[in-house]
Amino acid sequence: MKLKNDDLIFMYKTMVRTRKLDEITIKGLQEGKVLAFYHSSQGSEALAVGAASFLRPDDYLWAHHRGHGIGYILAKGGSGRDFLAEHYGKATGSCLGVSGFHFADPENGALGAAGTIGSVFPMSLGWGLAAKKHGRQQVTIACFGDGGSNRGTLHEAFNLSSVWKLPIVWICDNNGMAQYTPITDAYAKDDIADLATGYDIPAVVVDGMDIIAVHEAVQAAVEKARAGEGPSMIEAKTKRFREHSIGSPDVVHNQPRTDEEIAEMKKLDPIITFKAKLLEQGVLTKADVEKINNDAEAEMAEMDQFCVDSQIPDPSILNTLVYAE
Amino acid sequence: MKQTIYLMAIREALDEELQRDDKVFILGEDVQQGTFGTTTGLVDKFGPERIMDTPLAETAVAGAAIGAAQAGFRPVADMMFGDFMYIAGDEIMLKAAKWRFLHGGKVNVPVVIMAAVGGGMKLGAEHSMIPEAMIMHTPGLKLAVPSTPYDAKGLLKTAIRDDNPVVFFYHKGLLGLPGEIPEDEYLIPFGQADVKREGSDVTVVATSAMVQQSLAVAEQIKDKVSVEIVDPRTLEPFDLDTIIESVKKTGRVVIVDEDTKRCGITAEIGMQIMENGFDYLDAPIQRVAAANMPIAAGFMEEHVLPQPKNIAGAIEAVMA
Repeated sequence: MKLKNDDLIFMYKTMVRTRKLDEITIKGLQEGKVLAFYHSSQGSEALAVGAASFLRPDDYLWAHHRGHGIGYILAKGGSGRDFLAEHYGKATGSCLGVSGFHFADPENGALGAAGTIGSVFPMSLGWGLAAKKHGRQQVTIACFGDGGSNRGTLHEAFNLSSVWKLPIVWICDNNGMAQYTPITDAYAKDDIADLATGYDIPAVVVDGMDIIAVHEAVQAAVEKARAGEGPSMIEAKTKRFREHSIGSPDVVHNQPRTDEEIAEMKKLDPIITFKAKLLEQGVLTKADVEKINNDAEAEMAEMDQFCVDSQIPDPSILNTLVYAE
Repeated sequence: MKQTIYLMAIREALDEELQRDDKVFILGEDVQQGTFGTTTGLVDKFGPERIMDTPLAETAVAGAAIGAAQAGFRPVADMMFGDFMYIAGDEIMLKAAKWRFLHGGKVNVPVVIMAAVGGGMKLGAEHSMIPEAMIMHTPGLKLAVPSTPYDAKGLLKTAIRDDNPVVFFYHKGLLGLPGEIPEDEYLIPFGQADVKREGSDVTVVATSAMVQQSLAVAEQIKDKVSVEIVDPRTLEPFDLDTIIESVKKTGRVVIVDEDTKRCGITAEIGMQIMENGFDYLDAPIQRVAAANMPIAAGFMEEHVLPQPKNIAGAIEAVMA
């Protein structure tokens, strides 16, 4: 689809909201409001928002675990407030405060989030199979990282998605780091996309810091999937600005990443570069940019207050959740 | 009533549910031919879109079934051997079992994971298990372990209609077991034990093929001991009440099961009886289960898995 100015503004706004939500979640963790842990998505907003914008509500989405999916969730129309409340352990959370950091919004195609990396492959295969069987031209967006690509489950699911011609768009967020281990010590080739072509799945490598490049690649794959032409894969090369998990050491193996290295990465900040582009093209004015920023900050402050004010879940719900009646 | 055998009763349940609900489909390795006969012929009636042969890829089979269950279908995944469920541990134990709870009840996983289980065929350590304890131990899963053709059909139909993940273990040693089933449709609710034989001296709680072994032993010793046999039929949900009612009458209990003894379901059932029926017991509970070792193949199998003589010995001990 041809992006209109309003679409570009939506994408910019969503990236800003994603970053602000990431920041407030980190702050919440540091203040003891977020109870479990948090894996920041700073640096991969262009991929998340570029991939998940302008999908259908009934398209299935397996968001990438970085940021616990926030960029994808917000782009697909999910609730940041439900996300934050879940992290605060409150009854208003997306999973009633039971999950800590998983997100589910079935009406919006988000059927759940996993704690085990690489489980995306067999499970998304099932969502893709359902999408095909429903016959409503739905697609499944299934995201994983370079770390996840090391799982053997990738083989089984890539293979079957290709054999069964399922409407799945496999998206790899390759930021080059799996917790503390660099991809150069975990994968023998340069591009993870090569794994897909081995199964006859068309694959492209895109600059994951460029939201338009990501969006165009994903949309092309989505259109193919809707047309019954089977799965595709997109590998987006991104950067991980923060440590693996907030509070964990920021190391490669056991050696700290340097400030210079991080500063160099941040020159590619997808929000800053996209903003510059939109200003230059006259899609946004400086006043628009300021308003978007202020609105996002106000939204986050309101969310934070709502979550703080929300109740802790009543433990009597636990028994009702194990089995459906 | 009509005569059938265990595997035909299973096939009939699948056939009826496939017919009734177009959201039901079967997938697994070689389900079109049917490794154990339970799915044989269904492809001719329902086509390869609904009776799906898969590659040898257990995590993909389980994941595809579980994922599709979340997204509006009622898949039946045939894992072939129960031992192979370990390969799909993440999908079955973490995803199917936990995802409703974990996501605040927003998603259901109405999947059936079925597998042939149990020994007697001398197939050795990785083709002979009945991994009941692993499943019963995992909150979120239900577990059906039918011992007769009647139970197999009625429980499988209930399993397919359940909104929860159900593990359905059909025993390899029972596939040819004859029995009667009604002409008309019927379902067996989960969580209702069945008294397979009435008696007054001792309560034998047995599951799956051990029900049939216990029935044979009870018949052999009927002049000496009056044995009551209670078959829980489902281990989750578990009907303790029927067992306690029996224990009130007999005061003596033997628990017979084919899974490993250590931390096995005999331990769990025995302790539940202790907690809820201690005052009715006249003797320590006896249990018969597989030895705490991998299941040996060939001539050595019988030295690991419970045998009729072990059941008879335990009954004798509890009566002493």
